[in-house]
Amino acid sequence: MLQKILAQEALNVALSTGGDFAEIFLEDRRDNLLVLQDNRLETVNSGRIHGAGIRVYVGLNAVYTYTNDTDREGLLRCASQAAAAVRDRKEGLSRVQPFYTPQRQTVHTFRMLPSQTAARQKADILRAANAAARGYSSEISQVVCNYKDSEQDVLICNSDGLFVTDRRVYTRMSCTAVASSGMENQSGSEGPGAMMGYELFLDRVDPAYYGQKAAKTAVTMLHAPQCPAGVMPVAIDNGFGGVIFHEACGHSLEATSVAFGMSEFCGKLGQQIAAPCVTAIDDGTLPNEWGSEHVDDEGTPTTKLVLIENGVLKNYMIDRLNGKRMGMAPTGSGRRQSYAFAPTSRMRNTYIAPGTDDNEEIISSMGDGLYAAKMGGGSVNPATGEFNFAVQEGYLVKDGKISTPVRGASLIGKGADVLMKIDRVGRDMQMAQGMCGSLSGSVPTNVGEPMIRVSAITVGGRA
Amino acid sequence: MNEFLTKLMDEAAKAGIEACEAYIVERDSFRAMVTEGEITEYNTNATRGLGFRGLVNGRMGYASTEAFDNDAIAQLVRGVVESAELSEDTDPVFLYDGSEEAPELNLTNDELARLDPEVKLERVQEMEKAIKAYDPRIDKAAHNMLQTGRHTVRIVNSYGLDRSYTEDMCLMYGQATAKQDGHVSTGFFGKGGRSFDVLDAQYIGSEIARDAVDNLGATQIPSGSYRVIIHRAAMTDLLDTFCGVFSAETAQKGLSLLKGRIGEAIAADCVTIVDDPLLLDGLEARPFDAEGVPSRAHTVVEKGVFKTFLHNLKTAHKDGVQTTGNASKAGYASSVHVSPSNFYIQNGDRSFDQLLADMGDGVVITEVSGLHAGANPVSGDFSLLSKGYTVRNGKREKPVEQITVAGNFYELLRNARAMADDLYFPLGGIGCPSIDVGELSISGC
Repeated sequence: MLQKILAQEALNVALSTGGDFAEIFLEDRRDNLLVLQDNRLETVNSGRIHGAGIRVYVGLNAVYTYTNDTDREGLLRCASQAAAAVRDRKEGLSRVQPFYTPQRQTVHTFRMLPSQTAARQKADILRAANAAARGYSSEISQVVCNYKDSEQDVLICNSDGLFVTDRRVYTRMSCTAVASSGMENQSGSEGPGAMMGYELFLDRVDPAYYGQKAAKTAVTMLHAPQCPAGVMPVAIDNGFGGVIFHEACGHSLEATSVAFGMSEFCGKLGQQIAAPCVTAIDDGTLPNEWGSEHVDDEGTPTTKLVLIENGVLKNYMIDRLNGKRMGMAPTGSGRRQSYAFAPTSRMRNTYIAPGTDDNEEIISSMGDGLYAAKMGGGSVNPATGEFNFAVQEGYLVKDGKISTPVRGASLIGKGADVLMKIDRVGRDMQMAQGMCGSLSGSVPTNVGEPMIRVSAITVGGRA
Repeated sequence: MNEFLTKLMDEAAKAGIEACEAYIVERDSFRAMVTEGEITEYNTNATRGLGFRGLVNGRMGYASTEAFDNDAIAQLVRGVVESAELSEDTDPVFLYDGSEEAPELNLTNDELARLDPEVKLERVQEMEKAIKAYDPRIDKAAHNMLQTGRHTVRIVNSYGLDRSYTEDMCLMYGQATAKQDGHVSTGFFGKGGRSFDVLDAQYIGSEIARDAVDNLGATQIPSGSYRVIIHRAAMTDLLDTFCGVFSAETAQKGLSLLKGRIGEAIAADCVTIVDDPLLLDGLEARPFDAEGVPSRAHTVVEKGVFKTFLHNLKTAHKDGVQTTGNASKAGYASSVHVSPSNFYIQNGDRSFDQLLADMGDGVVITEVSGLHAGANPVSGDFSLLSKGYTVRNGKREKPVEQITVAGNFYELLRNARAMADDLYFPLGGIGCPSIDVGELSISGC
């Protein structure tokens, strides 16, 4: 991809005005998108993303420039623009160290690369999901299925001498089913994926299963009354339910917020911030998982990081620059959507670890409340910890028994409160895939948890 | 670029592509973030991307690239052919021949394009100072961002169309945290335009700070049904989320409940909604759309009556009408869809204060969050974490947080009682005045 000698030259140019660290991130990515809608393949689109980003630090300030033009001239121009943007020019220039490439084990392997898989085969996956969703009920009025894959080759080198490459291959399908009564529409969605090639559909994902599951949610919600509003206990099932931790806590543990004192969890390492039944992990090393990588987008090896152990805050997720600011080591959490974004600390595969409680008991001992079988997305304000998320498929619990389905529920609260109010953690942890947006763009992340219960949470609804 | 285009079109013709079109976006941008006086992000870039589409046996294929070598030409041509061959979309599709002239629209500002970065850094630092100076309870001002950019869109096709426009833009926004007695609240505000004067550091800074301070001491209110005014900031977010229901593409796919309802009253008499790509107030102004079709204004809802869906060439042909010039691309690489340009609800006849006075007692919602999760564009349902304040005897009473406001967008349009005259376009092409929406259900404590 990039000659070492040119990389050296560009890094030298980037440091020529007194920067004390420089980094090049070079990316070449091939993306494919297929969309099936109205029972027919409507979109087949392929693209090539290609560019380089150059970052220079001066103390705790950073300059970032990027370009699509990655030949010698383009790269050196980009480097000199970065150098020109350095404001506090210094004497005594930093030198670029000789390159080295650390040894590592290959953990993530790919068998059926997207570029070597016919688009027809990919279309078949969508047809299977579509047929299953439509076959579920005559009330299904529309089904939209997407297939996205990408092969991303990255090269990261910096003035400390690090020179690493990584290949990430992602494949994901999604299915949104719409159930309609003519007057009203309700929808359900599923979106399984992994850091894998087409083998995803041989090893892990049956598209028909997810098509049917999306349809079931849509049809169930079409016949569901509005959710009542109020404060109540809520049991949140595994898989995408883990979005509660992602929103209520995960973002507030990213150095992006913590380093600037913009998080409610600042200065709380070693303190009890969650109920003792809560242990939470952010793990970038899980083989071929959606949020995994060999190295992050700064070239730091990914880690398995215990965020919370038995309720006690153990670690923050830290990128290189914010690590300097905080005086702490980076945790392999520096991620970015593409060369067009400077990296910052991000989640990878983030989950609440399995506990000891029994799912049936979790429901039967909750009295009246809400069972959130399937969560939708959400968001958080890290400065206040206020989060919100949607319940895609919810059921009222009456006297410890799951009763009628309800639509339109959302859960709101503050991260610090809700973590303390988790009173049950089940045993069966599962993860689900999402795209997480923040300062450095949209990156693939897994959320996960076993079934958990929050003793009291504000449920937004209409009834 | 012209050499590349000529070669690309030649190769496309050789490969049996009947008609083809390149959509090129070139971009020069600058972005700086200041946090606590430090420049924590400083970003400049020059990029270009090309989206290519072509007809093979009457079906449209798509491919794109950011690399411009010979490999790129082969990849684009192969990509388009493969894509068109696989496509099962049998609806007739068209490329525009450019027979109508596009209107003149001045979107450039050379002074802004040439502005020294130091001047921009000073401006955003000044904004941060204005935030801090506003009130002693301001604790932090973070993520203070200033962006400027110039981009050029060019469309070239094998029917001889070759048109382009260039636009300069600038944008400044920020976030503040206020603290009092252990309660933390945040404020946000931003403004964008095509002239640097729009980025008034004092004004934007104090709006950010005011938003944070105004929310201090906010509490929940009991769950129940309340009279509600949705402030223009929150209303803009709602309209942005639900504006897809006015797209013919959405309707033709059965995902809009407005399907088949042209000519019917779908909203209260006080609701008029306009799409105007020629309006310079909105940041989505453009002389032509993503298919090269000249821009024109359309009234989408007139005094409550639904007048037209928004169309591109394909959806218009399917419905047997003229395109409204609302073809859009999410980026150079995207296929052609339908989106609004500057899309706004028209002003009403009274001031915001009068709107409060007319309501008497109720709640003003100033901010809604989590729209990607808590709002369902298919059903129109929303249930959103919100902030605002209570109103008593027509006057602002006390701040409210940690509530959700639930309702349905279609019902909201029908139940609207009155509009204020405070229409604005905060950071894009969507604009709204504040609206008295009647009753909504709120859950709190």
